[in-house]
Amino acid sequence: MSVGSRMKTWWRAVTRGAEVDAQVDEELRFHIESYAEDLMRGGMAREEAWRQAKAELGSLAAARENSRQAWGTSGFDELRGDLRYALRMLAKSPGFALIAVGSLALGIGANTAIFSITKHVLLDQLHVPHAGQLRLFAWTSKPDSAVHSVWGDYHSTAGGVHSSSFSYPIYQELRRQNRDLSDLFAFKDAGRMDATVNGQAEVVHSELVSGNYYQQMEVQPQLGRAIGPADDKPGAQPVVVISNGYWTRRFNRSPSVIGKTILLNLQPVTIIGVNPRGFTGANSVQTSPEVFAPIAQEPLLVARIWTGSILESPQRWWVQIMARTRPGASEAAAQAQLDATLHSAVLALMKPKAGDDIPRLLITDGSHGMNEAARQFSQPLHVLLALSGLVLLLACANIANLLLARSAARQREMSVRLALGAGRARILRQMLTESLLLAACGGALGLLLGYVGQIALLRLTADPSASEAAMQTSFSWGVFAFNAALALLTGILFGVAPAWQSMRTQVHSSLKDNATTTTRRRHGYGGKAIVGFQIALSMLLVAGAGVFLRTLVNLNRVDPGFDTRNLVLFEIDPPQSRYPTGKEGALYDQIEERLAATPGVESVSAASIPLLARDNSNDDFVPAGMKPAKGENTAENDDYVGDRFFATMRIPIVAGRSLGPQDTTSSLKVAVVNEALARKYYKGGNPVGKTFTTSDEENQELLYTIVGVCANTRYSSLRDDPPPTFYLHYRQAPDVSWGMTFIARTRVARAAIAPSLRSAVQSVDRDLPLINVRTQKEQIDEITMDERLIADLTGGFGILALVLACIGIYGVMAYSVSQRTNEIGIRMALGAERARVQRMVLGEASWMAVLGVVAGLGGALALARLIASMLYGLNPYDPATFAGSALLLLGVALAASWIPARRAAGVDPMRALRHE
Amino acid sequence: MAKDAEKTMDLLQGTLDMLVLKAVSLGPLHGYGVLLRIRQISQDRLEIQQGSLYPALYRLEHEGWIAGEWGQSDNKRRARFYHLTAAGRRRLEAEAKKWNQFADVVGTILSTVPEGTAASR
Repeated sequence: MSVGSRMKTWWRAVTRGAEVDAQVDEELRFHIESYAEDLMRGGMAREEAWRQAKAELGSLAAARENSRQAWGTSGFDELRGDLRYALRMLAKSPGFALIAVGSLALGIGANTAIFSITKHVLLDQLHVPHAGQLRLFAWTSKPDSAVHSVWGDYHSTAGGVHSSSFSYPIYQELRRQNRDLSDLFAFKDAGRMDATVNGQAEVVHSELVSGNYYQQMEVQPQLGRAIGPADDKPGAQPVVVISNGYWTRRFNRSPSVIGKTILLNLQPVTIIGVNPRGFTGANSVQTSPEVFAPIAQEPLLVARIWTGSILESPQRWWVQIMARTRPGASEAAAQAQLDATLHSAVLALMKPKAGDDIPRLLITDGSHGMNEAARQFSQPLHVLLALSGLVLLLACANIANLLLARSAARQREMSVRLALGAGRARILRQMLTESLLLAACGGALGLLLGYVGQIALLRLTADPSASEAAMQTSFSWGVFAFNAALALLTGILFGVAPAWQSMRTQVHSSLKDNATTTTRRRHGYGGKAIVGFQIALSMLLVAGAGVFLRTLVNLNRVDPGFDTRNLVLFEIDPPQSRYPTGKEGALYDQIEERLAATPGVESVSAASIPLLARDNSNDDFVPAGMKPAKGENTAENDDYVGDRFFATMRIPIVAGRSLGPQDTTSSLKVAVVNEALARKYYKGGNPVGKTFTTSDEENQELLYTIVGVCANTRYSSLRDDPPPTFYLHYRQAPDVSWGMTFIARTRVARAAIAPSLRSAVQSVDRDLPLINVRTQKEQIDEITMDERLIADLTGGFGILALVLACIGIYGVMAYSVSQRTNEIGIRMALGAERARVQRMVLGEASWMAVLGVVAGLGGALALARLIASMLYGLNPYDPATFAGSALLLLGVALAASWIPARRAAGVDPMRALRHE
Repeated sequence: MAKDAEKTMDLLQGTLDMLVLKAVSLGPLHGYGVLLRIRQISQDRLEIQQGSLYPALYRLEHEGWIAGEWGQSDNKRRARFYHLTAAGRRRLEAEAKKWNQFADVVGTILSTVPEGTAASR
């Protein structure tokens, strides 16, 4: 037997059914005619011959049916029939179809959008061959770590600290000693750099990579060549590889870009290659740096605060290390061996003090790169995923409910079908086909909504400063498969109960007219249980939305301690080569002066740390006469600011004086502290005139005199209480080479003033770009983005939940009332008042609602613990929120059952009884 | 058509396919022709249910053992003629071989006589 011929006939029968049927008909007619002629030749009468010929062949329709069975297409035909029937049924009740498909589409769309973001942030691997082999090195140690200086990734954990940064000499030592893994390679997110292309300055994101990086990542540039070991040597010709996105945006995909020289942080570098599309470097899959340069160029491109290059310093930990696993080699053995190497290298190179904890090496999964975003968004995404799952469950319950009511109404139809000989399995299949059709429509629409929602979400979450390195869209086959699976699952979930119901239909009882009364109770019960479940889910979602909304409201109510209105912020990042250490102060003075003279600017000041921007800096603060115990944390938050900082920010000076033009590089070194710091160290006494020491990068002690006390402000986030903070003037601060944020209080809108601010800065140095121009309000919006996003989304989910619950309650009560028309008629005939009937129906609905609310409350209380850390200014068991949500749901339940109750009260007993 | 219950036999399960293949192997036939041919070869001893003929033809065509083509019948009308394919010929040979073996075995069993009886004869 041949598969090919089977496929051929099957395909022919499926695609050209009518033609095939006509051929079968013709063939059979020929048979009948020939046979009849033979019979007539045998002497039979014409009519009798035809009758017999037809009778012996059997019915034409049956023969056709049999022939299709022979081709194996009967299953397909039945499915087509089911589908056609399901479509007709849906078209007959467009209201139901609209509600079902609409609520499913919203549920599936929300899940698809959030899943696609979650997948992008948490699951997607780097776009390099065999990303699963990549391992990222990290270390942990106790809080008193031997590592004192980390640039980059560094996190406090429960038992100490965790980081994936290493010093360059230690990387080289690990690489030399490595036996079990493939060759170690290094990279570093070197942040923003100033690029000047054809005389135009702009900001690009950069990554430093080791010479074997491309070889080990197994990535080939789409144009030109990769960075190789020869480029990663001191004194080598400076080269860069650029990203596909930068090539497209800045160079219009011109092949002549190879060999072109651009200025990077004012250093001439030659472009040698263009990365392939989709390659995002080793940091994350979400954004790609625009330029990749060899690590050996670090002294030229990056070095600023250090005397000498950090390449030679074993004390400064900054570079990330990756390697690939080798088939057959044990990772545990590699970790043990390299940990021993790390231990001895730290002892030999860093000469740690006694008691310092030596870091322990960890080999972690590197297939997602460093992926800082996963750390930040993991919890919110999981919460959103769970909540959107609940919304979908709610939508399913809603449709199951509507379908149950419909299946009860369709009992007669099912009885007729059963009586006519349809198998129960056939009916089950018919019902499931209808559910799956609904699910498929909902899924398709949900995919569309999900796609739109995903783009909207990405736009909301994208960091404005990273907008250049636009997030890559994450819609993919994985998301599509998730969407399809979700639609199928929901179709089965809400379709099985009604299908089961209709399969159990009794032929006899349903064909009798009063069948509805005998089966009513059971249906009503099932529907009410589902509505109770819906109310419980809605309670969870509404209470969840409530606590997140209150968190946002609380955050917005926080007084930051300064006037956030009409402030425009931007950064200036002077290249070290043009402005070496010690020379930046004069530059900042000049820029402040030019900006202040710009029309529309009221006041201006520089600050090393912009407030409420998730930036922070801390340094030693040791009051004179205090001897800190060994290992004691003496660091406090600080900020290096300009002459008019307190005036510009409108932070009141409560004692002494502000910093000002009299504080110069040669005058007495002075400081302003805030009230929190004064309270902590001077116990309410006046700190003005007191001195303290702090230390610079070379660990030398510097003495400062406190000349003023200012009011408290929030520092890096709105959530934390104002921390103790001290302010130094940038002209007197230990190190201001990291660049400055300039804050201008303006009289006009940001868009109107940005060009004049830009030209003011460029009148000082035309190669200095303004980085990340934004208002203080936008800055605050950015740090509260997570909270706003979650409040918006959960609020949306909550409203959706209320609407769905409303539909569910209304549907069940309306159905129950219509089924009980007779009973209500009898009650009224026996003397029940209308108000009483109405109360009865409302009472039934409120019972359902109360049970649901109580169940939901229980669930909410059980889950509240999980989101406690995401809340601000309220307890996760916030009684007001929970009581409010409960009341809201009860109100919604009563409102939704009001119309059915009115209808019940309006029953005319005579008509109700006559109907019987 | 008069039927004589003594003379006609019911078909054994599964043999219809083989008979159709055999009938068609002697030359292209339309459906009604297959019926006549089998009746003729069996000398009217074998009666085929007309209702089961066409599903069998379609099944065999579906399997690729026979192929159908539209042509003209003796009485100048359009009819569908079936002929054996190469795969069908192999199938027929295999089936015939199996059938002969089967008939052989069954025949042997049925012709066996008890040993005692032989001795007494």
